[in-house]
Amino acid sequence: MPAPTRHDEAWRYSDIAAVAAAWPLPAPENIIVPAGGHYARTIVQDSGAIHQIDIAIGKGATAAIHVLNIGGEYGRIELNVTLHEGADFKLGGVQIGGNAQTLEIITTVTHAEPKATSSQIVRSVLAGTAIGTYLGKVAVARNAQLTDSVQSVKAMLLDRSATANAKPELEIYADDVKCAHGCAIGELDPMGLFYLQARGLSPADAKKLMLQAFVAGVFEGAEHEEMLIEAALQKLGELV
Amino acid sequence: MSDDMDIKDKAAWDAAERVADYEHGWSSDIETDFAPKGLTEDTVRFISAKKNEPEWMLEWRLKAFASWKTMTPPDWAKLNVPPIDYQDAYYYAEPKAKPKLGSLDEVDPEILRIYEKLGIPIAEQKLLAGVEGGEDGGLPQRRVAVDAVFDSVSVATTFRAELERAGVIFRSISEAIKEYPELVRKWLGKIVPMHDNYFATLNCAVFSDGTFVYIPEGVRCPMELSTYFRINAENTGQFERTLIIADRGSYVSYLEGCTAPMRDENQLHAAVVELVALDDAEIKYSTVQNWYPGDAEGKGGIYNFVTKRALCQGRNSKVSWTQVETGSAVTWKYPSCVLNGENSVGEFYSVAVTNNYQQADTGTKMIHNGKGSRSTIVSKGISAGHSNNTYRGLVRVAPNAEGVRNFTQCDSLLLGSLSGAHTVPYIEVRNPSAQIEHEATTSKISDDQMFYAMARGLNTEEAVTLIVNGFAKEVLQQLPMEFAVEAQKLLGISLEGSVG
Amino acid sequence: MLQITNLHANVGDKPILKGLTLSLNAGEIHAIMGPNGAGKSTLGYVLSGRPGYEVTEGEVTFNGQNLLDLEPHERAAAGLFLGFQYPVEIPGVSNVQFLREALNAQRKNRGEAPLSGAEFLKVAREQATALGMDMEMLKRPVNVGFSGGEKKRNEMVQMGIIDPALAILDETDSGLDIDALRIVGDGINRIMRKPDKAVLLITHYQRLLDYVKPDFVHVLADGRITRSGGPELALELERDGYKELAA
Repeated sequence: MPAPTRHDEAWRYSDIAAVAAAWPLPAPENIIVPAGGHYARTIVQDSGAIHQIDIAIGKGATAAIHVLNIGGEYGRIELNVTLHEGADFKLGGVQIGGNAQTLEIITTVTHAEPKATSSQIVRSVLAGTAIGTYLGKVAVARNAQLTDSVQSVKAMLLDRSATANAKPELEIYADDVKCAHGCAIGELDPMGLFYLQARGLSPADAKKLMLQAFVAGVFEGAEHEEMLIEAALQKLGELV
Repeated sequence: MSDDMDIKDKAAWDAAERVADYEHGWSSDIETDFAPKGLTEDTVRFISAKKNEPEWMLEWRLKAFASWKTMTPPDWAKLNVPPIDYQDAYYYAEPKAKPKLGSLDEVDPEILRIYEKLGIPIAEQKLLAGVEGGEDGGLPQRRVAVDAVFDSVSVATTFRAELERAGVIFRSISEAIKEYPELVRKWLGKIVPMHDNYFATLNCAVFSDGTFVYIPEGVRCPMELSTYFRINAENTGQFERTLIIADRGSYVSYLEGCTAPMRDENQLHAAVVELVALDDAEIKYSTVQNWYPGDAEGKGGIYNFVTKRALCQGRNSKVSWTQVETGSAVTWKYPSCVLNGENSVGEFYSVAVTNNYQQADTGTKMIHNGKGSRSTIVSKGISAGHSNNTYRGLVRVAPNAEGVRNFTQCDSLLLGSLSGAHTVPYIEVRNPSAQIEHEATTSKISDDQMFYAMARGLNTEEAVTLIVNGFAKEVLQQLPMEFAVEAQKLLGISLEGSVG
Repeated sequence: MLQITNLHANVGDKPILKGLTLSLNAGEIHAIMGPNGAGKSTLGYVLSGRPGYEVTEGEVTFNGQNLLDLEPHERAAAGLFLGFQYPVEIPGVSNVQFLREALNAQRKNRGEAPLSGAEFLKVAREQATALGMDMEMLKRPVNVGFSGGEKKRNEMVQMGIIDPALAILDETDSGLDIDALRIVGDGINRIMRKPDKAVLLITHYQRLLDYVKPDFVHVLADGRITRSGGPELALELERDGYKELAA
């Protein structure tokens, strides 16, 4: 298979040169969560790696993945998730980029059978000329009734030369489903920043505190919550 | 030319009599003059010659045709379209009893009767009577100037004299090319470039007619302008081209309606619409698209590949697209706004209904280049039967565009478990001061809603129509009043048989 | 303590304050009253340095220092506290964390040692208890999900913890029921009624003044102080309305 180009949907915002250099990629990691099982995983991408993981979540099983995408010139985390009946999948993802980093999280969550639930929360903070992308597709198969899926995508740009891309996509073939997607890209609330400063925080500290609040909730309940928050804060500290 | 010149659509006419599902599915016995079947450089020359076009126009067409031959149709839409044989169609069909443009008395009475049957008022006196008479004591009936495009030619533009007094130019594009070549040349192909996409390029080569509007500086167009497109002839593609220029501080509301007869084969419609709004100008563009959607088994119907784009070039300029898409077997259409002007505003309000085997891939692009530019997108997709309905959109904010705002709401309603509803929004932001919000929801009509409506005495179809109209209300209320009434009825008709 | 001289300020291109002069000494409580749109909230924002509020003319000194030269957080460290009319919600940031960071930032600015977590919690608990606020609320994100009255009470808790020299309280009474009004009024007296402190109460109504007795009352109309007097002026305003007095 040739290396992807920008015409390939899943790579449209990628650092194509970096991808070509890494091509061909090893086969994706394959994870099967058996019926009734539970799987948890924390991924800290801090070296410029491409992670590709296929996850099949069996009947009534659950999986929770927490991702911190911060390192290297190009970092990509790609998850292909298939949910069977009554399964649950949760993703909490944060990417923080500066300089000329290109960071992306790509998820395809397929509700193959009825009554499965999924949630994806992704937060990006981008400074310098960094590019941060989240491509998040939720697909509901023809008979996957009573699917319940939520997706919340937010990005914050700290500099004019940074870029945030998002594609919160829905592909739905069943009628009795609940799918709600929300995506917001913007700057820190200026009134909130003023409020913090009026209470004595310096502009940089106020910004940092607001950014910390912006990303911290994503890791609530994660297996390595403290480590993730600490690593995220350190990276934020480098940017502000 | 062949026997086709004398074509009589008896078979289709009979079919229309038999099947009443599609209200405008009848065709008419109009003697029609065709270009030779197929698409070659000669077809392009034929069309240009038929229209007595100036040399520059022919050259432009030929250049487009040469590029088109090297291009391939776009494949990224969520559409399943069999390959189209571009040689197996007519690219020009003209009603034979040629009307003298501008003089309604001489329009073939049969064509007038067709428009009458479609409920489109192209007789001025009737409307004028409504205004001057005011017998019923109600509000005077709103006057609408109409450009009626029948297959490949414009057969009448109405209210021309009154519009001219206001300085408004309302012409078929063929006339405009001859009468206002400077204005046409300045903007034609500037908003949708010749090589923009496969269908737009094809349109450049073979467009036959369409509407040209120029609203001069500071003029509020005294009435709504409209074009009604009708594909009547068999095996014929319609390639119209619309160009609307709103000069500084002007305002115009423009309505577009489309119908076609029921036919077993698919017919191609590839239009290009270009809008320009200069400083402080506003264009409101409303469409009710009701091309023949094909039958319940998915046979026949119009392939609707349309490129619509507005250039909000001026400061505080505004373009608002409202569309109600119920027809066509395939819809591929993304009315967009390039927001170059400071504080310019783009709006897109859409209701797209698909039933049976219809496929729609429609949405918008909002390209924010201007500081303080704002856009609103409200898309309501309703999928029934075996149909697929996709919203596809792009919101892009350029690095230098400070203070941009966008709000997008995409709601899908599924009727029955065999259809598909899809949302494909692209968001690309390069300025930190932008505030972009996107929300998407998917729902169905709940049993409780149905039961409640039916307990109040509505039958199934009335209940569905009521609930669907409620779902689409935000969009429908953007339409001018008489269009809104038509659109509400259409939603009901399009969904007949989808629930129950 | 605070000396405002001929202050002119714009919001956007619009002039709001048009030559306001006012002087507050330590130990005094001043009330500023006036009709809607007179520029009352603008005065609070200009004094605390909100971006977008531009001073076009005039001077403000705070304990001899040029206040207008300072950034908002520097004004806070200098001892100025703005009680917001609409306290801002900040999801994800807990009240406790926010206040501790704010207090220690101010202390650092003044060259004082930061409070430890335990020391801070002791102060916070005292203040919350005094204002009848549940400690659990202090752990919740700043103002998120708080009712209007709870937000105002939270402002007073913050004021108690930060212990400023000058408090500018913008419509602190709005949105409070009668019990909450008394609690907030008692709080203001307890925290700020001291010889080395001063308060500028910005209010539309007289009712807060039943609990916090001002030493001076000023009428602000069309961007200027049009009348000044003692507490009796507030009663007069309540009785006759602003129309009579504003001119």
